[in-house]
Amino acid sequence: MSTVDWKNYEPVLIPNIKDIHKIDVYRKNGGYEALKSVLTDKKKWADQKSVIEEVKSANIRGRGGAGFNAGLKWSFMPPADGGPRYLACNGDESEPGTFKDRKIFEYNPHVFIEGALIAAYAMEITSIYVYIRGEYKAYIQMMEKAIQDAYDAGMIGKNIFGSDFSVDFYVHSGAGAYICGEETSMLESLEGKRGYPRVKPPFPAQKGLWGRPTTINNIETLSHVTSVINRGADWFKSIGAENHPGPILYGISGHVNRPGVYELPSGVPVFDLINDVAQGMRNGKKLKAVIPGGSSTPVVRADQLDGVTMDSDSLREVGTMLGTAGMVVMDEDTDMVDMLWRITHFYHHESCGQCTPCREGTGWLEKVMLKIKNGEGEIKDLDLLLDITTQMEGRTICALADAAAWPVRHTITRFRDEFEARCKKSVHAVA
Amino acid sequence: MPEVFIDGKRFEYEGEQRLLQFIQDQGMEVPFFCYHPSLSAPANCRQCLVKVGQPVKDRETGEYELDENGERVIRWFPKLQTSCNTMISDGMVVHTQETDDLVKRAQKDTLEFILINHPLDCPICDQAGECPLQIQTYKYGPEGSRFEVKKVHKPKRIQLGPRVILDAERCINCTRCVRFTDEVSKTHQLTITSRGDKNYPITAPDREFDDAYSLNTVDICPVGALTSADFRFKARVWEMNQTPSIDITNAKGTNIDIWTRDNLVLRITPRYNEAVNDHWMPDEGREAYRLFNENRVSRPHQKIDNEQVKSSWNNAFATVAEQLEGVDKKDVLLIGSSHASVEENYILSKLSSLLGYNEPVFTSHTEKGKGDGFLLTDDLAPNANGCRLLGFNEVDNSKLSGLAEKAKVVLLLNDNLVDREVLSEDQLNNTFVVSFSTNHSQTSKTADLVIPITCIAEHAASYVNIDGRIQRSFPAKETKYTNRRLDFEMNEGRLDRYGTNFDNWVTEENKVDCLPFWIVASKLADQLGVDGFDYGNGREIMEEISSTLAPFEGVSYARMDEESGIVLDQEKTTVKS
Amino acid sequence: MKYEFTEDDLQEIEKIKAKYPEVKAATLPALWVAQNRFGHVNSDVQKLVAETLELPEAHVHGVATFYTQYYKEEKGKFVLDVCTCLSCQLCGGYDVLERAEEKLGIKAGETTDDGMFTLNEVECLGACGYAPMLQITNDKYVNNLTPEKIESLIEDLKAGKTPEYEQIEMPLRKVK
Repeated sequence: MSTVDWKNYEPVLIPNIKDIHKIDVYRKNGGYEALKSVLTDKKKWADQKSVIEEVKSANIRGRGGAGFNAGLKWSFMPPADGGPRYLACNGDESEPGTFKDRKIFEYNPHVFIEGALIAAYAMEITSIYVYIRGEYKAYIQMMEKAIQDAYDAGMIGKNIFGSDFSVDFYVHSGAGAYICGEETSMLESLEGKRGYPRVKPPFPAQKGLWGRPTTINNIETLSHVTSVINRGADWFKSIGAENHPGPILYGISGHVNRPGVYELPSGVPVFDLINDVAQGMRNGKKLKAVIPGGSSTPVVRADQLDGVTMDSDSLREVGTMLGTAGMVVMDEDTDMVDMLWRITHFYHHESCGQCTPCREGTGWLEKVMLKIKNGEGEIKDLDLLLDITTQMEGRTICALADAAAWPVRHTITRFRDEFEARCKKSVHAVA
Repeated sequence: MPEVFIDGKRFEYEGEQRLLQFIQDQGMEVPFFCYHPSLSAPANCRQCLVKVGQPVKDRETGEYELDENGERVIRWFPKLQTSCNTMISDGMVVHTQETDDLVKRAQKDTLEFILINHPLDCPICDQAGECPLQIQTYKYGPEGSRFEVKKVHKPKRIQLGPRVILDAERCINCTRCVRFTDEVSKTHQLTITSRGDKNYPITAPDREFDDAYSLNTVDICPVGALTSADFRFKARVWEMNQTPSIDITNAKGTNIDIWTRDNLVLRITPRYNEAVNDHWMPDEGREAYRLFNENRVSRPHQKIDNEQVKSSWNNAFATVAEQLEGVDKKDVLLIGSSHASVEENYILSKLSSLLGYNEPVFTSHTEKGKGDGFLLTDDLAPNANGCRLLGFNEVDNSKLSGLAEKAKVVLLLNDNLVDREVLSEDQLNNTFVVSFSTNHSQTSKTADLVIPITCIAEHAASYVNIDGRIQRSFPAKETKYTNRRLDFEMNEGRLDRYGTNFDNWVTEENKVDCLPFWIVASKLADQLGVDGFDYGNGREIMEEISSTLAPFEGVSYARMDEESGIVLDQEKTTVKS
Repeated sequence: MKYEFTEDDLQEIEKIKAKYPEVKAATLPALWVAQNRFGHVNSDVQKLVAETLELPEAHVHGVATFYTQYYKEEKGKFVLDVCTCLSCQLCGGYDVLERAEEKLGIKAGETTDDGMFTLNEVECLGACGYAPMLQITNDKYVNNLTPEKIESLIEDLKAGKTPEYEQIEMPLRKVK
């Protein structure tokens, strides 16, 4: 495996340019040229399809966690019929360990707006909604300003760049519900309802917002579209890991010296991220475990991480996933029982309550974990927990049940001795 | 025709079909809670999971790919699918719990989840005995419980509205009730509140669930979370006896079941009829059960010195004959009733023609604004159309009061004309009024002679609804003169079957001393020297009606039962000979 | 108490409605307008929102109770939402929460008698790199907390000093 040259990587998503969040600075630095190009350069971009093909070929794998090729997703939209079509941009960012999209809202909102506009043009979208979690009040305000600036500059609205492409762009604020990061739940929330994920089929491309064709993309995913149009799919594919190419916003948190969000190529070795990028473990402690991409991605023991890089293939080999690339680093003092209990508490709190296995299972997991955490658990409870996860996985409308089950299954399996040590010694009846 | 294979059996199907519904329609079963054929399918209970696959087709030839044994290659869905929202497609292969262990396990797992926070209070729960959760737990659920932590606690005994009570702990969040108010009654009075395992259905704060159809949510609640304020704790369902009938509180002809125990009607629930009321009925119709128990006329009553006293049947018939024979035939007025059945009205009209009186008249009973375009109608009687098709003169209220004032003897078939202010007591002062009544009322009090007749819960008879559909009832409760064990139309519940007169739950009190109107007519005819009223039951009367009156041609009880009612040709009219 | 929207609120709600093809979509933003106006969306406010949007009250109630940021009852002047989820837990979120409980003399989920503070333990707020942290009344984030820092934060709030928005740079971003 070739090592990714991340040290010489120049950021493009959030470049090293002062005040790039301001529209005039953004434009001075080549901003909205990609949009202009797809709208006006008919030699380069013959039609909408050519844009979709370029994005598809770049293989931008969805940065919200599912990792699906964005261009391919776009190609699922049915032909335009003159009625409304929607793009819903997912800025709900609520998976513990994930805090990257807020950097785009804050430092380079226009790269996202431009990417969303290109996507809208390519899919003949009539309205764009960006759904931002309600807690991000500051970023909601920033986005509202950026969108207004783009309207004022003629980048959004009627006949953009003199073309016949017109589109509207709105911010929709969430109000505190992790589940609304699930794409169909987000649509329900946008429509003003309780955030209950929808049964698929019909898929959003067929029947999305208000029963109309809708595509949902993550904020970072759409931001990459701008670079792909500017620099070409080949450039994008040349960056990082082959099967999961392009730059990624890594969010590093936990027991490291310099946590934060870093824009680097995909496929950076996990140890490089911890030791170089994040400047090593806090207080000189030893690494114990890493959750690579948000709380739902299975935890990996430090001794499993040699040579592992941050891309889907390499992470799959150690039984985990890239997810949102929100990496949580844990040192040797970390209590895995407490940690897992807190994760089960999170999913219990956030289950929407629609499907039986998730509504009941998440609560059961947390209650049994609490029992173990309090030293009241028995060995059989560990097996019960594993059983409950089996009963939850793949049995619900959305993936929250799976997201709740995986950490339980893998944390217990990978740190079983620690869990057993917390359990009461079994009392056997003597005949 | 497209085909589907379920548990190894081949079925043909047509059109768009939900897999779960199709399986049920074939007489097979997959357990479920949230699905309801007349509501949207949210697939939230996850109980109806099955294994689903599609045969692989060769892209070029379009032919099914075959394996080495010549069997179709099946591509299975990676996950189990909820059959409620899976649409059948050609060649689909389905394995249910009958043939697949993973499906069986998944259904058991879901039931385990549903039960962990469900109270173990079946012994005091009204739903027990007709509870899908209880039944399906027996059939498909786990044995014992592995849940050794604390259950979630939620509000109990919440009076959601005047007629519905909520126990949120029993709720399994199927959302049927919420969907009912959103999709069927459209009052949008219910929502799910909160999130996750704290979820339960509720109204907006300080609002009553006073939906005119609220009790349907009790019917469709698959557990005991929603119960009827009225019926609560009154009876165990297995003690009761369920008899099909028709709602008589308006002209819609909503199909119902009458539930009795020891000859008391304890509740009314809707009975499915796609063409009339689907699965639903208005709350009003359910309240009518009291009419069958309370305030019934038992034994004839005669007015003596302005006071009604009980009289013997023989005296009653003799009195009527005496009164009729003492006046000129033209001074006798027969009033039919939209509140009585086709058979009863027919008998009245036969009586009039055999005895040479004027044809019966009737006046409809309507109240503008009562109708809602759904199951409530402006017409508050079940059989106005029946009277019309029998060729009765429909007169307005003033015409009727004029006729009554002039008449010397009035024979009034069960219609509370004084109560509903068509007639006044004064207008009837100089008239001898014979009222054939089911219940005591202002009208019956005004009458000089009250002859008790059976109500819809006691006889088999037909009613023509607002859309011209004729439907019929079955006897549900015994009178003094009927016996469940001898009447093949009557059901027997467990208590009826196994109870004896020596059991304390069996009494004679609830049997009313009344007779079907055709027997009353037959006795009168005897007194007046005519015959032709030798009917054993309503069925025989309907046979005569259908063979003599054009609008009823071809109508029979057997057809009504078979076809869930028959739409009559209202263009045809009864021609009087 | 009778709750009424101001003319400005109503205008804002009209603007919100224009963003969507169906009025129901205005439910969440209109609840926000209401909460910004009244400080909570108790049952009377939920009714007002339903009336204003001409939507069923039960619908608005269902939505208001689904989302945790809507206050279904009156809260303290400052609502301290302390994150204790995963990264914040790992970095001492519970120490911060406990110190806040001691300092305020209340448990998480409670409001001080003087109505100044409500303290909550909340789920991930998307500031994992700056853990542990808290949010004040659905607004400003206060990052990289320590038990000492939360004590002084409470003092500051009592003294009427509210924190400003804190900009956190991306560590490797060398802005030219």
